Amino acid sequence: MTDWGLDDDMLMAFADGELDAKEREAVEKAMAADEAIAQRVQMFIETRACAKEAFEPMLDEPVPDALAAKIKDMVAASEAASAHADPGQETDNVTVLKPKSDLAKPGGAPYWSLPLAASIALVAGAAAGFITGRGGDVQTGGTHLSMLNAPAFSQALGSVGSGDERPFEDGGRFRAIASFRDDDGTFCREFELDESNGSTVVGVACHGGAEWQLRFSVVAGKTDAGYAPASSLEALDAYLGAVGAGEPLSTEDEAAALREFD
Amino acid sequence: MSDDFGGMLIALLPNLRRFAISLCRSRDVADDLVQVTCERALANRASFEPGTRFDAWMFRILRNAWIDQTRRLKTQGTVIDIEDAHTLIGDEGEKSTGNRLMLSATLKAIDALPEDQREIILLTCVEEMSYKETAEVLDVPIGTVMSRLARARKKVAEELGIKKGINGSPDRFDDEEETSE
Repeated sequence: MTDWGLDDDMLMAFADGELDAKEREAVEKAMAADEAIAQRVQMFIETRACAKEAFEPMLDEPVPDALAAKIKDMVAASEAASAHADPGQETDNVTVLKPKSDLAKPGGAPYWSLPLAASIALVAGAAAGFITGRGGDVQTGGTHLSMLNAPAFSQALGSVGSGDERPFEDGGRFRAIASFRDDDGTFCREFELDESNGSTVVGVACHGGAEWQLRFSVVAGKTDAGYAPASSLEALDAYLGAVGAGEPLSTEDEAAALREFD
Repeated sequence: MSDDFGGMLIALLPNLRRFAISLCRSRDVADDLVQVTCERALANRASFEPGTRFDAWMFRILRNAWIDQTRRLKTQGTVIDIEDAHTLIGDEGEKSTGNRLMLSATLKAIDALPEDQREIILLTCVEEMSYKETAEVLDVPIGTVMSRLARARKKVAEELGIKKGINGSPDRFDDEEETSE
């Protein structure tokens, strides 16, 4: 095995979006060439997603009335006391981290901040297991992904506007979620695919000139016994955050890009 | 000082409570801790620098209050079996099925971590703070944040049966002892 000179801290920092462009590139190169490294990164992505998801419901627990009442009283008393000393100033641009329970979805707010550069395909699922693509090839090791090779799928990627969906003849259904460009200007689509067998694939595919390439996918909606994957959306979010991705294209820009596939 | 300090404080209550629960592993103890935290925050509101992260500032106060509280409890000889409380999961956990089972398995795995790893998972993975922000909240070097965080996630992955990759090279990827404390 090649020694890439990458320790766990580095791989974890990649998963957490803490690396600069040069470091990111080094990790991506290693991931593309060495499946064990890609899997290690995936472990860090998944544990992050699992932790986030597991603690999400706690935000929805109602704050006990007694506690809420006490705090409100304290705040009121404090504001009354400081009203004389400190007459109203403008609200400052303070960052309050809001409970973030929903991902930005159709037409949604930008949640990608950096260009998507990694060409890996991750498949997490009870049946499909774990597959890492090299050079962005579509991997079909799992039965779930059969649909991804169908012409109808490529056709949908190149024509369905974000927020719209298209049924397939086999009973499946394609939903376009958002479009963006990676740092090379390559056109990418985030999509969801309901397959006829009942599972849903969440993924990102990019059009690198000649054809669509699957960059990322997770299988959702499967609750087979044993190992269950982290929520696919959390994993996707973590993935996009880790590798960086451009902001979603506006409806107009997307329409212009799709016209090229006519 | 911003007029909206109180509003921000109240808006952040669910997050404060969540962080407190993860530290105390008891909802009752956590609620007391949140109250003490808010008292301190209001008393020290002038020291909050507008433009910096309010949540990080609050988490730091909460954590310091927790340290003070556990220290005081210990010196008073009060017996509160916090270590055995393990109530991260709450009542809901018992009824879990399917996807919820995974959630409670994750909570269980995180619950079993030492406190210094648990709090870092909460701040980074759950509250989405950067390593740097987390280091500032906890008053430790970034290297310490990273080594604890990596160790915690490896343990969680093990508990959940997530493949860890890199099996054949323990020299590179084994759990390393922390050196930066």
